[in-house]
Amino acid sequence: MTAGRFDELIHAPTRLAIVSLLAASEWADFKFIRDTVGLSDSALSKQLATLEQADYVEIRRGFVGKRPRTSARLTSAGRAAFEQHVRALQEMVARSGVSIVPR
Amino acid sequence: MGDELQSADAGEALAEIQNRQRQVIDLAMVPHWYWWAVGALMVVLAVGVDTRTPAAIGATVPVFVVGLLSATGVVIRAQFRDAQLRKGLLDGSGVLAILSFVAVIIGISLGTAFALRAAGVSYPATLGCLVGGLLMGLGGPILMRGLRQIMLRNRVGSPR
Repeated sequence: MTAGRFDELIHAPTRLAIVSLLAASEWADFKFIRDTVGLSDSALSKQLATLEQADYVEIRRGFVGKRPRTSARLTSAGRAAFEQHVRALQEMVARSGVSIVPR
Repeated sequence: MGDELQSADAGEALAEIQNRQRQVIDLAMVPHWYWWAVGALMVVLAVGVDTRTPAAIGATVPVFVVGLLSATGVVIRAQFRDAQLRKGLLDGSGVLAILSFVAVIIGISLGTAFALRAAGVSYPATLGCLVGGLLMGLGGPILMRGLRQIMLRNRVGSPR
């Protein structure tokens, strides 16, 4: 089991939502992330660029037929950082005795 | 006070993490209509088998093959449009549940058909597949609910 390590970069609410979506997927389409998290194109691009600079996310730009398609995936470093961040959150919650009810 | 705020924030963050992962998992759910469509196609194929005429077989086999490929194509296309589910979410118990479901449908369909044929009932394959098709339509969504629970259990941060 990985040790907990709180990650300020991931913990920002918008990036937490993006990374959480990517954690359950091999890759996710740019439009799906944008619509699910509720961001504009430019806001999502900015957040993904921040995560890409930290080597947490890999952006792929390609074509499906003639349509451009952009997708994102967590890198192994990003997945490890996310798992450590989740572990850190769980440790904080465990110390306080608060219970989490998943939706 | 600071610690209380911190732990409350951590709790909310964990709930958000689990909720976002659930949104991706829900993308992978096969719609109810698919199970009923496959069940109906099984019955169509069985009608051709029971009728035993080249014209009936020639008509029902293409309907079955094209129908199955089309329905499956629509479902797969929809699933891969937005995101591809992480491989580790569906573990061995999920694969076992899928294989068991298929084995039960085939076993009950064939068992019913052979029993009816032995009893001299007309259209045994059709009736056997009708039972199998009903089980498919009713059981498919139950299988999906089970697979969803397995994947939710395997998401990062899920309480084990």
